[in-house]
Amino acid sequence: MKALQRVALAAVACALPSLAADDAVLRAMRDELQRSRALKIVNLDPPYFISYAIDDGDAFLASATLGGLVSADRRRFRSPQVQVRVGDYKFDNTNYVGSGLPFGGRYNIEQFPLDNDYGVLRRLLWLATDQAYKAAVEAIARKRAALRNVTVTEQLADFARAQPTRLILDPPRGEIDEEEWKNRVRKLSAIFAAYPDLHASGLEFQAIRSVRYLVTSEGTEVRLPENLAFLRARVYSQAPDGMLLRDAVTFHALDFGAMPSDLEITRGLRELAENVTALTKAPFADSYVGPVLFEGDAAGQLFAELLGRNLALNRRPVMEPGRGGYWPASELEGRQGSRILPEWMDVVDDPTQKEWRGRTLFGFYPIDQEGVVPQPLTLVEKGVLKNFLLTRQPVKGYEGSNGRARMPGNFGACTAGFGNLFVRASETAPLPALRKRMMEMCQARSKPYGIIVRKMDFPSSASFDEVRRLLTAMGRSGGTQPVSQPVLVYRVYPDGREELVRGLRFRGLTTRSLKDILGASDESHLFEFLNNPAPFALMGASNFVSETAVIAPSVLIDDLELQKFDEELPKLPIVPAP
Amino acid sequence: MPSPVRAALLFIAVFPALAQSSLVLRALSEELERNFSILKQKAEPAPYFLSYEVTEQDVNVVSATLGAITSARHNASRLLDVSVRVGSRKLDNYHRVRGERVDFTSGVPLSLDDNAAAIKQRVWLETDRVYRLAAERLIKIRTSTQVKVAEADDSDDFSEEKPAVFSEAPPKMKFSAEQWAARLRKLSREFDQHPGVLTSSVSVMAQRETKYFVNTEGSRLEHGRGFARIMITAQAKAGDGTDVSTFETFEAADPSGLPGDEVILAAIRKVAKDVSGLLRAPEVEPFVGPAILSGRAAAVFFHEIFGHRVEGHRQKDETEGQTFTKSLGAPVLPPFLSVIFDPTRRKAGTVDLNGWYLYDDEGIQAQRVPVVENGILKTFLMSRSPVRGVDHSNGHGRRQPGLEPVSRQSNLLVESSKQVPEARLREMLGDEIRRQKKPYGYYFEQVTGGFTTTARAGIQAFKVIPLVVYRVYPDNRPDELVRGADIVGTPLASFGKILATGDRPEIFNGYCGAESGSVPVSAVSPALLISEIEIEKKQKSQERPPLLPPPVNSAGGGGQ
Repeated sequence: MKALQRVALAAVACALPSLAADDAVLRAMRDELQRSRALKIVNLDPPYFISYAIDDGDAFLASATLGGLVSADRRRFRSPQVQVRVGDYKFDNTNYVGSGLPFGGRYNIEQFPLDNDYGVLRRLLWLATDQAYKAAVEAIARKRAALRNVTVTEQLADFARAQPTRLILDPPRGEIDEEEWKNRVRKLSAIFAAYPDLHASGLEFQAIRSVRYLVTSEGTEVRLPENLAFLRARVYSQAPDGMLLRDAVTFHALDFGAMPSDLEITRGLRELAENVTALTKAPFADSYVGPVLFEGDAAGQLFAELLGRNLALNRRPVMEPGRGGYWPASELEGRQGSRILPEWMDVVDDPTQKEWRGRTLFGFYPIDQEGVVPQPLTLVEKGVLKNFLLTRQPVKGYEGSNGRARMPGNFGACTAGFGNLFVRASETAPLPALRKRMMEMCQARSKPYGIIVRKMDFPSSASFDEVRRLLTAMGRSGGTQPVSQPVLVYRVYPDGREELVRGLRFRGLTTRSLKDILGASDESHLFEFLNNPAPFALMGASNFVSETAVIAPSVLIDDLELQKFDEELPKLPIVPAP
Repeated sequence: MPSPVRAALLFIAVFPALAQSSLVLRALSEELERNFSILKQKAEPAPYFLSYEVTEQDVNVVSATLGAITSARHNASRLLDVSVRVGSRKLDNYHRVRGERVDFTSGVPLSLDDNAAAIKQRVWLETDRVYRLAAERLIKIRTSTQVKVAEADDSDDFSEEKPAVFSEAPPKMKFSAEQWAARLRKLSREFDQHPGVLTSSVSVMAQRETKYFVNTEGSRLEHGRGFARIMITAQAKAGDGTDVSTFETFEAADPSGLPGDEVILAAIRKVAKDVSGLLRAPEVEPFVGPAILSGRAAAVFFHEIFGHRVEGHRQKDETEGQTFTKSLGAPVLPPFLSVIFDPTRRKAGTVDLNGWYLYDDEGIQAQRVPVVENGILKTFLMSRSPVRGVDHSNGHGRRQPGLEPVSRQSNLLVESSKQVPEARLREMLGDEIRRQKKPYGYYFEQVTGGFTTTARAGIQAFKVIPLVVYRVYPDNRPDELVRGADIVGTPLASFGKILATGDRPEIFNGYCGAESGSVPVSAVSPALLISEIEIEKKQKSQERPPLLPPPVNSAGGGGQ
């Protein structure tokens, strides 16, 4: 890991021009982009901005269950994203519901050459640009038509200017030993055979060696190596009353060689299996209202989900009048300058930090998807909301990126995400003191027990069906997007005894609940995850992931509501497991 | 190398294959018996039939364009399909209710390693899932049959068949991705010589497929085959926006059976020449008149307008058009034509047929089925879902993993007793054009496929999509390439208009898509002379060709 970072640093300092000049991919992108500036249909808008991005990847994927390999694939891919903007920064073809749609015909160019063939690369870029330009002039015409009969209350620009950047880093090294990983995945997946209460289990491994190329007509040129390896385990079981239980754990590294050892992974897998086995035997809890202590990972997960989602502002696209659509707004929109956390808390996103207390930080990135270099950003100061995560898409009250375009988005824009989110508290107490405080509150309110949450289902290991049900239920109730479900929930009794329970869901837990944080621990905890644009950062829901970290203390929050799960429970299988 | 070593090597190569096969089959059998006996005892409603099919695929694909590789993939999978039947043969959970699609199975991935514990756990879970759906649907159906009027066809839901036992692993496939990549780089560069072609690709696919099948009637099967294919495609855009394209393919059961570079190069040149020619070709006007369909075009024509209408399950479904349902024993084609479906036929001439197999996806042995003899309809293509007048399967229950089998086509063979040499067929076309006082007729050389609707709610019509079409003049003018023509028609009216056939069968190897997914098929037919065919204008793009000329440094050269 460190070696890779050192290489990166050196490259930032002296951008190795000789290597870049030889790079057929960069050269083809640069030359064809230069030529494409001349695109023009008489009487129609010429392009004012063109960007070419190519994700050049070499991925190895393997999955196994109970010691048997289920799949093993090696994939090489080069996926291009060509963007052409017509009009100008103030008004262009994006931020319209039809932006990015392929109006008219398409050329058969989904697959870019894997060989470094300058001529063929240029030829395919030529066709891709032609296609994108025609779609852009069509989109801007339709957008103008859609706006003819409506009054827009607030005119936002469509694209923010940004400083051109040049960052050419050397392509990554690091080979993927397929056979070794196949055997590791087999061997590790066999661990679950020792847990007869698990109905199903699976392990998936991915190692992706990729380089992101970006060239824009503003002069930005980027070649950014982005290696990632991760191993994810999921287990499923069913309680005697039929309740389905599941959980997952992910191990990851930016450098293939830095993956945790088998010993460490085995420990994690056993813990996962034991937790889910314990859940099948745990009592079905009753609803609860009162203070809840989020410990360790759970606190990081809570901040990652509530703040990550709501610190990015969604912009509603221009639509034909009368056309509906569900465009969830951020809960924090319009609340800049207001208090959203206790006065003694600050939140800073710092993607420039590479290490924290000797540990590599997962959310470091030198440049974002749009080629903007991020700086540390104070989001919340003394409890007051100061800033949002911004991309080059102007949003209400903000124009100008702060380098947070981390994921693909809609209608020509990127989705904002954070890198390393530091949640800091200036008034802290040791964890046992927080626990004591919770118990005192319970006693004062004559509650028999308090609640500790140690793990949330975020990123979620739910099935697509389950997520769809959750979102439909939300759509019907017109409420805000629900937070992930808690996985490991413990009742704590006055005598200090803890009891694992199952079947509880948060109700009404929103960013407003964060104002009710009563206390924070003096120890901070690092939680890292693979973020993606799907709801609940649903595992495997997107081909795109962005490495993200949260450093946060455990927190005690008052007045949270946990509701007893009330859906029908499926019956147990008639035939016992083999 | 001394012979003992070679013997040892051979032994090593053969033995694991056998050991491997038996483990999957054994694990499936054991889990089948365990699940079936417990479900029979404890479940209500109890199942009367249970089957497992595992489709193991090992696929290699390499594609190239203009000398550069665009994709190189290897993929292996084992997918499980579970079928549970509750109720009785007379009425079970598969009963067709007014066009409702039943889909119990889902094609779940199984361990590629022969690991019994991993395989059995998935089989058990999937059996449980499918049993629940089956039981739920039976309850719904029992209600539905009580409230609806009696169905015209009251045949059973599931036929009685003899169990089959057979085990033979398909031959191992030799495929070198590196060698193919080198060949495709070289071959695909040929398109550089044809500046009119905008995008092109040359790709190869090689697949080994093994199927394992067990059911509670005692069937135990392991069988399979290989598929290999070369596909050449090219697209271009004419000045008026029309997209033109064509393709060539070569199929074989093993990559070693694919043609050599010279044959492939000739096909590439033909594709490029056709596309370049189509760019300059005039657009057709709607037309009714005489035409010749080349053997390949005729093969697709029969597959679409005839083949889909003799699939057994459609005769039973009252939302279907049921064109031939009551025609058993009656003439449906001109008396000089016979149509045979023969999945046991491996080759036509020297070409491997795509629709060849040993057992269908319900474990029924493949058999030769003469569906039409001298114009008279004899039977339907049957899965294990009987229809009035046909009680048994004839080995045509097929599916793509993850879907329920229905009756599907295999190798369709058109036989004619009114054959004339191709040159004579051309003369007859000239006579027909003059007789009908038409300015010209048509020759359909290459078609990409077609589609048809058989449901009553739709129109009982078909469309065949030609790519390479010539206008044929009755005088000695040369044939003229045209573009933008689609053949349309209605089935019953079209068959009566076949006047004669050529004497040289041509083969269309491809994949057919229908409710049970994509299955490999072929159709073999001589050319057809048709007195009246209707063509309509193809939908076309309004979009201009690329605005900028191609990059000078790129392959492919200058545009138009």
